[in-house]
Amino acid sequence: MVTEMRKTGIDVVGDMPWGTHICLLYETKEDLLDTLISYFKTGLESGEFCLWVVAEPLTIEEATDALKDAVPDLDRYLADFSMEIVSGSNWYLKGGTFDLRGVTGGWHEKLARASARGYAGVRVTGDTSWLEKKHWKDFCEYEESLNEAVANQRLAVLCTYPLVTCGALEILDVVRTHQFALARRHGSWDVIETAGLKQAKAEIKRLNDELEQRVVERTSQLTLASEALRDAQADLARVTRMTTMGELVTSIAHEVNQPLMAIVTNADTCLSWLASDTPQLDEVQKAAERIVADGHRAGDIIKTIRALARKSSPEMTQLDMNDAIAEVLDLTRGELRRHDVSLETELSGGLETVMADRIQMQQVILNLVMNSIEAMSAIMDRPRVLRVISRIDGPDSVLIVVTDTGTGLDPGKVDRIFDAFFTTKLEGLGMGLSICRSIIEAHGGRLWASPNRPYGSIFQFTMPVMTKGIASDRLG
Amino acid sequence: MTVSDDEARPTVVVIDDDENVRVALQGLLRSVGLRAELFASVPEFLDSNRTDLPGCLILDVRLPERSGLDFHDDLVKAKVHLPVIFISGHADVPMSVRAMKAGAVEFLTKPVRHQDLLDAIQRAIKNDRARRDEEQIVAQLRSRLETLTPREREVMALVAAGRLNKQIAAEIGLSEATVKLHRGQVMRKFRIQSLAELVRTADKLELSRPESRVFSTKV
Repeated sequence: MVTEMRKTGIDVVGDMPWGTHICLLYETKEDLLDTLISYFKTGLESGEFCLWVVAEPLTIEEATDALKDAVPDLDRYLADFSMEIVSGSNWYLKGGTFDLRGVTGGWHEKLARASARGYAGVRVTGDTSWLEKKHWKDFCEYEESLNEAVANQRLAVLCTYPLVTCGALEILDVVRTHQFALARRHGSWDVIETAGLKQAKAEIKRLNDELEQRVVERTSQLTLASEALRDAQADLARVTRMTTMGELVTSIAHEVNQPLMAIVTNADTCLSWLASDTPQLDEVQKAAERIVADGHRAGDIIKTIRALARKSSPEMTQLDMNDAIAEVLDLTRGELRRHDVSLETELSGGLETVMADRIQMQQVILNLVMNSIEAMSAIMDRPRVLRVISRIDGPDSVLIVVTDTGTGLDPGKVDRIFDAFFTTKLEGLGMGLSICRSIIEAHGGRLWASPNRPYGSIFQFTMPVMTKGIASDRLG
Repeated sequence: MTVSDDEARPTVVVIDDDENVRVALQGLLRSVGLRAELFASVPEFLDSNRTDLPGCLILDVRLPERSGLDFHDDLVKAKVHLPVIFISGHADVPMSVRAMKAGAVEFLTKPVRHQDLLDAIQRAIKNDRARRDEEQIVAQLRSRLETLTPREREVMALVAAGRLNKQIAAEIGLSEATVKLHRGQVMRKFRIQSLAELVRTADKLELSRPESRVFSTKV
């Protein structure tokens, strides 16, 4: 609370904390009045008790008049003792001698009384034009002790020294004994830095540098952490992808076995014809051609699987979404058949390419398709239909829609299905949809779910088309 | 080759939803002189008018849920009696047990060894031919059975059940001579000579003689 800032009313100083002890070296009476009137006006308006110790050549009357011009309510302040204007020789030289303890005690007494009466604190100024050479040393001692005396008190002291009577040595003393010094000469300001102020400024600079250093360190820590997070997300994406593929493994094995079956059978056909008494070479050739086609078919399936299982950082390429969808549907053909699901596709021609990582896109599509198949596996009283649609969605976006006729979304849970670790499956990780959403959002798209009519659910996502730049570094 | 020849030649019906596999099998069968007809699904086959072709059926069992085994039940319900050879991408023991119990000729795993397949096909076709021959015989006997009078049927059933003429006469209240007459008529109408033949014929027709005096023929 002692560090509470107060307005000084002096432009060059700005705000000060309680416990401030500064000095003003002034050239003319006008310089002094200008400064102090603003100083007290601000103090009175801030609910402080104000004490002005006036000294020659300024009189109490002059001070009062000058202040009254700035503070119309001054009479009231004076009447209720919010403001006191006293003479310097009375204040400092009680009984004709300078008493260090007495003066300091006086400040504290005023402070105690002001606090008791509910003032915010005490704002004082004292002029030293009464000061004679013989008192100088004692006074310096007093000024020095005052720094400690005002510290942690709701007290602000502004000491004023006329430049005309101060020699260089005196000025040095004054500057040394205050927290800092102001000089006002014919209306212009100088701020003289004391060792303390310099030290404070150096301390501030050091703290700033240290802070800056810590910001740099924290930033690099955060960068590392976010890289680690990105790696973790990529690993997680891969794990969920592998989990999904694990669910597919029976179907995939079957998918590869089909062309293998065809290849072996066709090869047997070739051998059978070649061993026959009436070999028909056109039949042999046809069978051999079928072997080639089936070999490629098996290879394509394996290629897709290997790509999905690959551990590598995302790679942004121009991607035809219809191609990506077709490959995924090839992979899930067995799964669809196994669950007696019929597939309807509406893949719009003339889709613009999107900038995306092929594997991550296929992961999303695969996940949505597998979810749909699973949602329909318990349905017995109506056809199980999976629809996959692609279409242009405005000038700079494509829309991919996956619908099913399954059990649909629980309205109470629809908001949570994209949360991590939310799952309705017995053996689900609960990461699938959460990862899908982060993948799509990292690509600048949007993924959401809604109920299908009259039953089932709709999952759809948008992807921005190539013309727009997309930040690839956000991909996990 | 005449149409009737063509119809009489055994045909292998291939039901597999993978076109490449279907076509490959057709090629292989053609190389050994077998005719194949291809269908993508059991319903497609059932909807065709080809369900009564002589030959056999190669059925892809597919994956567990709505499997070829269930489709096989559909075939049985549709009274398709073609011998079935199952082929499967991933056969397991329970599945093959179920298939064999359901009357499968063979259960083969993809990719299929062609000799195994051809052997199974030969066996299946043989079974089918035997079944058809048998069915033809039974049909002929049944038409002969139709020419019997109720009395003659009654006598035939009792003879087949091992009764003597005298016993039969007592049981149905006729003279022994009349029973002999009926019995002679049965032998003549079925064109058989011996008692043994009569018993076998009654078995094939599944004639039985219940305790009551009501005679029934299971058809």
